[in-house]
Amino acid sequence: MLAGLLLVASCASVEPGNPPLKQYVPGRGYSFDRLEGGENSDRLFVIVTFSGGGTRAAALAYGVLEALRDTKIEWQSKKVRLLDEVDVISSISGGSFPAAYYALRGDRIFEEFPGRFLYRQIQSDLIGLALTPTSWFKLAASAYGRSDLAAELYDREVFAGGTYADVIARNRRPFVILNATDMTTGQPFSFIQDQFDLLCSDLAGVKLARAAAASSAFPGGLTALTFWNYAGTCGYRQPAWVELAMKDHGARVNARRTARAENRLSLAAAGPARAYLHLTDGGVADNIGLRGPLEAILSPNHPWSIVQMLNRERLDKLVVIVVNAATNPATDRDQSPAVPGLIDTISTAANVPLGNYSFDTVELLNKIAAEYRADSRAVVACNRLSAAKGAQCALRLEAPHAVELYPVQVAFEYLPDRAQRDWFRNLPTTLQLPRETIDKLRAVGRRLLSEDPQFQNLMEALGGCLAGAGRAC
Amino acid sequence: MEYVKVTFPTRRLAYIDGEENGYTNDVLRVDAGTHEFSLGDRANYRPAKRTVTVMDTSVLEPLEVRFFSKGEP
Repeated sequence: MLAGLLLVASCASVEPGNPPLKQYVPGRGYSFDRLEGGENSDRLFVIVTFSGGGTRAAALAYGVLEALRDTKIEWQSKKVRLLDEVDVISSISGGSFPAAYYALRGDRIFEEFPGRFLYRQIQSDLIGLALTPTSWFKLAASAYGRSDLAAELYDREVFAGGTYADVIARNRRPFVILNATDMTTGQPFSFIQDQFDLLCSDLAGVKLARAAAASSAFPGGLTALTFWNYAGTCGYRQPAWVELAMKDHGARVNARRTARAENRLSLAAAGPARAYLHLTDGGVADNIGLRGPLEAILSPNHPWSIVQMLNRERLDKLVVIVVNAATNPATDRDQSPAVPGLIDTISTAANVPLGNYSFDTVELLNKIAAEYRADSRAVVACNRLSAAKGAQCALRLEAPHAVELYPVQVAFEYLPDRAQRDWFRNLPTTLQLPRETIDKLRAVGRRLLSEDPQFQNLMEALGGCLAGAGRAC
Repeated sequence: MEYVKVTFPTRRLAYIDGEENGYTNDVLRVDAGTHEFSLGDRANYRPAKRTVTVMDTSVLEPLEVRFFSKGEP
């Protein structure tokens, strides 16, 4: 009897979680340019990234949000909170829960999120839900997986039915970008309308819970989420740069730009060529959420290009705060001559490249900051040296619009005390942690931010102050 | 990062790949690759657009992308 019912359930159709878009209109929906900046000035542009790492990452990110709220700066002759100057949040997996909640509820996150998510036993709730007979019938459907079940739980218990339409209606910065991974291409998939335009789908009709579930669909424990692709039904046109970038394919002038163009074309191919997308944890493509911001910093061909803002002289200071909850669990592997087991080996193969990629991504940000400084110095030095040879030799070279870049890093590895560092780096990746652990993560987020050398430089430049740790502002 | 200078007798908006991207006669940042430069919809300049592959520039030697007034020889 039960087997028969499950067989019937397996053939049941599943409603798409992302509705079609009737007509493509460039720039509509959830896009950076449409968001009201309000008092938030572009001159000081702040990007914050939240990494993956389950509740550990969510609590660390939340601690940094609290610290940004409590950081007062002098900006344009006003005393403001640094949090109110945050323009973009890019998040992955566990970090996507506070990011999405902040997009939906703004400052109410500080009253509601701890109870709704941080201190809840989400993992136990998920397991309990998966063990109910109602869930068995749902899970029997081939297009419904454990992450769909998780999305329903998050929708009910965390986001209270919130959709991107609610975020659009708030019409406030920061522009919050939740990131998942397209399983087929391995590319990041961002929950912004520019990405959904390719699918001819309306992000406004997508639940935040579903976006957070896709972003945090930790492989193995959770399943990928299926999204419908309606490409070719809404009159979508690719931006001009896509065709230009494809021309560079053979010459390999900028392989990264060409790959981005190819990815757009593959998603938007009519038919659609890929009728369904399967999105898994954002950490598979980029566990710190920094790749998208780096493309914005490097390319004018981006939905919220920093280069365009620089060229238009709209931006003077660029702050990138990378909140990375990466761990490095201790192992006794090297105390024994025994050949490491299968789980140990597979876990190493999965985690080591991810960690190395995150390291390289942060290094790329640091390299860009160094390049900006070097270019400014080169122009000044050439002008000074040529002028020293006499007025007739003066070059008067022009420099691009100057920008001060502050790459700030919040990561356990920067804790000076080894025992403390090891304690945080041995925390598990799970969707529930003891209350004391959450409290420690919130506190260490604030501390790591305040102790970062670039953050201290920023505070000096802005006459800023972060209250706490015995300091009043 | 690559650098270009879109030159024109007067200061006006410069477009890269169809989007506003700063002003003429300023040094602008761009990524490497083939880009289309223009000065917008007004037809008082020539050529209407230039498609150029930008690579191997430096901040000291930006690539010059030249536009002229229609009346200019």
